[in-house]
Amino acid sequence: MKITYESQRLSLRFFLLMLILFAGQVAYGMLLAVQQVDPTILAGTLSFNVVRASHLSLGILWIICGFIGATVFVAPLLSKREIASQWLVKLLFYALIILAIWNISTQTLAMQGIAGWWKGQPWLQNGLEYLEGGRVFGIGVLVGFLIFAFVVLRTFPNFRKWNEIHWGLGLGISALAVVWVFGLFYISRIDLQEYFRWYVVHYWVEGVWEVIHISLVGVLIVIMFKASVRAVGFAVFWGISFVWLSGLIGNAHHYFWIGTPEFWQFWGSFFSALEPLPLIFCFWHIYLDAHVNKRPLDNAPAFYFLLGSTILELVGAGILGFTMTFALTNAWSHGTWITAGHGHLALFGTFGMLGIGAAYWAVAAIRNVPDFDQRIGRFGFWLLFIGMLGMAMSFAFGGVAHSFVARVLGLEWTSGDIGPAMSTFKLILPIFGFVFTVGALVIVYDLLTLGTHKAQPFEVPSATGWRKAMTGFEAGTWLLFMCFFGLVITFGLLAFNLPIVREEGDPTLPYLLSAVGYTGLFAATIAFVARFTASLDSRLRTTYPEIATPDLAVET
Amino acid sequence: MTCTTSDDKSCETPRRHGALWVLSLMVVIFVLLSYFSFIDERGQVVPDQISYKSFSADEGKRIFQAYNCMGCHTIVGNGAYFAPDLTEQYKYTGPAWLEAFLPAAASWPTAAAVRVHLATPEQLALAGVSSFEEYLEKYPGAAERIDRRAGKISHMPNLAFREGEVAKLIAFMKYSSAMNKEGWPPEVRTGSLENRLALAYGPAVLPMAAAVTSVAATTNTTNLVALGERLTAEYGCNACHATDTSRRIGPGWGDLFNSMVELADGSTVKADKTYLTEAILNPNTQLVAGYPAGLMPAYNNLIKPDELEAMVAYLASLSNVGNEL
Repeated sequence: MKITYESQRLSLRFFLLMLILFAGQVAYGMLLAVQQVDPTILAGTLSFNVVRASHLSLGILWIICGFIGATVFVAPLLSKREIASQWLVKLLFYALIILAIWNISTQTLAMQGIAGWWKGQPWLQNGLEYLEGGRVFGIGVLVGFLIFAFVVLRTFPNFRKWNEIHWGLGLGISALAVVWVFGLFYISRIDLQEYFRWYVVHYWVEGVWEVIHISLVGVLIVIMFKASVRAVGFAVFWGISFVWLSGLIGNAHHYFWIGTPEFWQFWGSFFSALEPLPLIFCFWHIYLDAHVNKRPLDNAPAFYFLLGSTILELVGAGILGFTMTFALTNAWSHGTWITAGHGHLALFGTFGMLGIGAAYWAVAAIRNVPDFDQRIGRFGFWLLFIGMLGMAMSFAFGGVAHSFVARVLGLEWTSGDIGPAMSTFKLILPIFGFVFTVGALVIVYDLLTLGTHKAQPFEVPSATGWRKAMTGFEAGTWLLFMCFFGLVITFGLLAFNLPIVREEGDPTLPYLLSAVGYTGLFAATIAFVARFTASLDSRLRTTYPEIATPDLAVET
Repeated sequence: MTCTTSDDKSCETPRRHGALWVLSLMVVIFVLLSYFSFIDERGQVVPDQISYKSFSADEGKRIFQAYNCMGCHTIVGNGAYFAPDLTEQYKYTGPAWLEAFLPAAASWPTAAAVRVHLATPEQLALAGVSSFEEYLEKYPGAAERIDRRAGKISHMPNLAFREGEVAKLIAFMKYSSAMNKEGWPPEVRTGSLENRLALAYGPAVLPMAAAVTSVAATTNTTNLVALGERLTAEYGCNACHATDTSRRIGPGWGDLFNSMVELADGSTVKADKTYLTEAILNPNTQLVAGYPAGLMPAYNNLIKPDELEAMVAYLASLSNVGNEL
């Protein structure tokens, strides 16, 4: 656990910035949760829409920071040389700080209705969900992405010598900039605007971030478990292929109700139902790689977050995405809190946890503190994990009630008629939000002070019962459990179409099915991660000889 | 899987090429579907076809983005889930209700506040109706909101809309209402509003508001000031005017009566009974400095002379400058 190339240290500043922006996003999120309970708080001073815009923008920015940090950390290993054009990497860091401050400040202009229209484009703020930044911000980000891609491609070896990981990371980072361009134009038609807005949002997440995610997870698995680059390369290639094969037309699930033709309902329902497949594939691979040589964990928090990233990707993006991907279920989930549950789990889970996991590995390696106290990080992981699952559950339950009152009963006074039905869940949301916030603070504190606390000797548990080594059959059984509860949720949403719900206004069936489905899914998720990590803990029992990290730059 | 461990790549390479071919095929399918989504033959409504007053839907969309409406509301279901979906608001509540609500969004408009936007034949024609009663029938959302919420506070902050911005936003919402959204939001099939409220709250506790007591029933009072106070509530004046000196949407009423007011043309005028009467009936003729024209609707077809007298008396009672009428 120490670095091979001096320029790997450059990643440290991006992880630091990531933590600051993460803390900021959590603070904004907490404020949003409180405003959901009492809409009068700061209304007109820091209105909900401004807070939400900052919450979303910061979410994207800190995830990007995590990607840059992780990439800068692994690029020398993939290239067997120092990072190229290091002054550009330093420039990128300051550019990110300026962009973040600029973005947060310009969002407040929405309260005065100032978008900075000039030459037909909004230069100061854009007022569209996920693309809230104005053109000044957008062009700044584009330049930043181009610098990032330039540095990575210059550092990498000649592309004829690339293996699957180089291809995944190289394509993903170049595509970051390409896809971003679709969000840089004002479009007058709602249908066409939404069509292109999802190019950025969906293709970024599904086509680009996911590709970077798969590649980075691959690299980290090689570093952590000394897995074979060839086997990981196989997983990276097929993971990315499945993501694109399902996600390319799967984007159509955003085109059901935005004014585009009905035929998208067929294509979207069919292809995006396949979208969990690559995630199940990745899930399976992380199981295989973690069990390839039965080694104990050198850096438990790093692996916990990597595991959390893969599991929440499967549960949040895959399974919850699946439940609302059919036109017949999406008609009820669309425009409600149900989608917010999916969004939070998928975005923080998949990409946020990857960034934190990478930071744990990188910070420990750069500071060369193999014997740091790992208990704080593990504790922080569980707070974040349970906090986020609890928030997703509040969103999901609140969303089902939201959908019933708003869509079935046709009542639309959000704080009047819909509010009472959602009130319990609006209260639970900040409670889990608080748990999450504490988790975030613990993680920030731990990463900042990593290495100052030394590991305490502790008794290694015996590998029996709950802690015994996990077999592939058991992992598969847990996976089946999760998928089963996902199906229950899907049936709960489908039940909205039944005459007894839709015409007689009896919500029992969808309420019951979603109560069982969501509770079961989240309980199974927590239990599985607890079981998985417990089985790894008991590996500390024996000491293993040090194995060198495989050559990541190898041609496959 | 065997291909991963064996050195022989012969079965892996064709598979990978196959995956890339299928991917190319999907790109072609997606491009074709996209092409057929936006051709003219589809007959989808576009912003150029829709206008409200003299404003185009496109102008409205720019205002919609400038205020980041999507940060609380949703449009075609996308956005935040903090406030109602805006897609079909125009169809549901109509232009007059939106005209009454948007400039002073922090409170729900009263019947009179909506009625004032249906005072002229042009306004009625814009809404496609011939009377206020017909309006309520055509736009059930307006009727429901007046019935249940009139005069209460809403949770939307007052936005300081500039001249024309409200009409532009209405043009945008008219466009989103007119679009074909392939059946979304799902049609409501649970019957009448009473039935749906009973399903939501149980039959016993219907929060049907007895919003503001009918003024007609209480006009036998001789106290002009009390009558004036009730009338200002009835007409929804408090949505924009505070009873102290603070500025809400319009000027506060405290110490207004008999004070000297600076007008937009630079002149100064005494806010006496004559001025205030005219300011209520035709607010745009002597505009106060710092307030855009057209912000306050004209009440000249709506308020009766004796009502006006009571309201001015009420304003006088709020002033320490001198309240002789």
